[in-house]
Amino acid sequence: MESSLKSAALLEQMKVHLSTDAGKELTKKIGLVYQLNIAPKKIGVEEEIFVVDLKEGKVTKGAYAGKPDATFSFTDKDFLSIATGKMNPQIAFIRGAMKIKGSIIAAQKFTPDIFPKPSKL
Amino acid sequence: MAMRDLVTGGAACAVPGTASSSNPLGAFANAILGSSSKAQEIKGLPGAAVNVPGPSSDFRTEAPLTTLPGLENEGQQHQQPYGQNSEFLSGFRSADHGVLGDAWNEVHQPPLHIRGGDTEARFQEFEQIYNRGVPPTWDGPPQGVLSRFLHSFVDSGRAGVPFRPAALPVLGLSEGDKQCIRDRSFIMAHHIFADKNEEYINAQVNALLHSLDIDGNQRLKGPMRGSYPELEEYWTESQVALRPGMPNFADKWVSEFSQQRESGDPEAWARSFEQQHGVNGWASEFEQEHSQLASIDQMSGANMYQIAAMEQSRMLANTLAQNTDPKFQNSKFLQFVSKMSRGELIVDENQIKPATSSLTDDWANEYQGQYNAGPSYWADQFANEELSRGKDKWVNEFVKENQQQGSDDQWVNEFSKLHVQDWTDEFGKQVAEGAFGESTADDWANAYDKYLDEQLFTSKKRSNASRGVYEFSDMNPYVGHPNPLREGQELFRKGLLSEAVLALEAEVLKNPDNAEGWRLLGITHAENDDDQQAIAAMMRAQEVDPTNLEVLLALGVSHTNELEQPEALKYLYSWLQNHPKYGALAPPELADSPYYADVARLFNEAAQMSPDDADVHIVLGVLYNLSREYDRAIESFQTALKLKPRDYSLWNKLGATQANSIQSADAILAYQQALDLKPNYVRAWANMGISYANQGLYEESIRYYVRALAMNPKADSAWQYLKISLSCASRNDMFEACDTRNLDILQKEFPL
Repeated sequence: MESSLKSAALLEQMKVHLSTDAGKELTKKIGLVYQLNIAPKKIGVEEEIFVVDLKEGKVTKGAYAGKPDATFSFTDKDFLSIATGKMNPQIAFIRGAMKIKGSIIAAQKFTPDIFPKPSKL
Repeated sequence: MAMRDLVTGGAACAVPGTASSSNPLGAFANAILGSSSKAQEIKGLPGAAVNVPGPSSDFRTEAPLTTLPGLENEGQQHQQPYGQNSEFLSGFRSADHGVLGDAWNEVHQPPLHIRGGDTEARFQEFEQIYNRGVPPTWDGPPQGVLSRFLHSFVDSGRAGVPFRPAALPVLGLSEGDKQCIRDRSFIMAHHIFADKNEEYINAQVNALLHSLDIDGNQRLKGPMRGSYPELEEYWTESQVALRPGMPNFADKWVSEFSQQRESGDPEAWARSFEQQHGVNGWASEFEQEHSQLASIDQMSGANMYQIAAMEQSRMLANTLAQNTDPKFQNSKFLQFVSKMSRGELIVDENQIKPATSSLTDDWANEYQGQYNAGPSYWADQFANEELSRGKDKWVNEFVKENQQQGSDDQWVNEFSKLHVQDWTDEFGKQVAEGAFGESTADDWANAYDKYLDEQLFTSKKRSNASRGVYEFSDMNPYVGHPNPLREGQELFRKGLLSEAVLALEAEVLKNPDNAEGWRLLGITHAENDDDQQAIAAMMRAQEVDPTNLEVLLALGVSHTNELEQPEALKYLYSWLQNHPKYGALAPPELADSPYYADVARLFNEAAQMSPDDADVHIVLGVLYNLSREYDRAIESFQTALKLKPRDYSLWNKLGATQANSIQSADAILAYQQALDLKPNYVRAWANMGISYANQGLYEESIRYYVRALAMNPKADSAWQYLKISLSCASRNDMFEACDTRNLDILQKEFPL
């Protein structure tokens, strides 16, 4: 329970997911490093930083040592909406629900299909 | 018909505080004529000098009194009421040819300003002229004549026709009466002619006053005082006149006048004008908007967010507009952004919908409508130089208005916190650098098209469920069923979950306090893969029956699925507290904000107390899911399954846990068990799809999602996942079927 974010559950699943065949396929296909700054309620406030490294196939907590290809800032809820296909990343961007730093090209590859989907009890 | 009338139309009354007529073309005229009289100016009486008309040999005095201006004598209506030089007047003779130029000139050519000491003389001259042509219709008691005369002034204003003076009998108005009429006429005229310039208004009022033998120059002598007994008498009379039995005085004008007088608020007059004469929706909406803007400093939360989103998209639209690639310029994406920026589309939660009641509202649509219809129409109608000038003016007007809105301090402060500039700059820079390339710009735009369509399609659905409010189905054939609960139970048993939902909804509509109805409804939704509705129903069940263990467990499970840990923990702890056997284990002081570790420890104690109680193991399994200790969770569910091997939902829980710990192959076996026991278990079908998708087997996953959706077309998350799988399987050809939720096509294409 080191994180109070809902997103942490999904990122934990992502971590394991990257070790599967499907996950390895993903790193081969994308090969980029994304840094996620996830805030509980408001962008920029009390953010928790995660790195989804699709070069090395890792998910780590804390800022990336180096320059990530793209850095996203969003709230916990909006990140989940994006990762589960509920909200289109571009819509999130337009709304200002997602802020992007870095390459737009890299950002465009940040799509819901890179995340595993949580199953329901 | 004369262009003037076309342009100003019927009710030329504008709402106070706006520069716009209620008529779209009138607004256009407004802009083109640049005559935005600001109603604020009339808070005090206008300071401009009144222009007393000079005599003219050409002056018309025949004003027919029964035929009010703007009615049958259309051909003459552009005759100027007030003295001008004859060149000017003759110019107006051609007004009925309906050329814009006339309208333009009429409004813009300033009336002759006649000043100087010979005013008195001129008045006398006028009086003579008038008196020569007194028509019989102005007969009657002075008040009646005055009333009708004033009314005709209002009518001409409404008809957008310049008012023509008439020769009236001597009405015997006192100085007080005159001052009162003088002052109020100016106030009123600014409302009636809110879309006209000052000169025009002054001219109109002068025409009125002149007929009444009132010197316009003597207005503004301060407010009416009580020292005019005759005036008081007039007002008293006029109000008495409103009562039945005195039909002659039942005059709208007078009543409006007196209402205004009572309230002491000039704008009240305009409001009553609106009420009585009817103003089209636009004007009132505009007013609404205006008041919303006025209270902008009270805005917070969602509303603020909308404005921010609007502003963001506006800035983005500006940035994008500088990209000259015609392909990009024509893209729906850009259209979308500009629509957002104009407030025509708003983003609510994750949905985009046409603006309905907030902010610019229909006003923006109306404006856009004009803008769209405008250019060609105008070009056809008036191919002259005024066009370009007017258009610019209009645009400026619009821009100015935007700036006014934007300059509200609170708003700007609040807004700047959102750092909109940052990301639009960033975005614009990269677009400018060609970051999109040729094809990606299209992708980007297409994504919007699709998403927009999709969102508009589903926009009516679902916004309350996430807030714990149960959303009932629109059409429910089970309403009126003699025993919907039994019917619902039967349907649930048969596995017809979506039908069971309807029957159970009918039950809880009939008996809102039936906990069993709500509970089963919640269970059905959960099995139908809709946790939000499940939570909403279960919360109602819990209200009625706060200690029902099944309800508490179901709430704990659904909140776990929604990754809402604190809520899940609360309900699971509550389960323990209310359990007849384990309740003693749970200290009540923990109930408010239970710690995960404490709850897990207590449940372990319970499991040691009764190792053969499957339920304790189930709750433990859920708890371990919360803490993402999947191996322990799997162990707990497996223990429970030994005790309850035919519990299909338990098989699903095991499968889901295995799936979440990326043991997808095992998960599929568990789901299969569940489906063997309950073939229509939508949740298990959807979970199957997820497991295949997570293994990268997208084609397979599509079939399972489609199967789940065939049973419950309302399972939103399954639709979202289906879309992702279609995309990953490069089945973009099926996007449309997915976006329009066309299950026939999908089932045909992806049979299981």
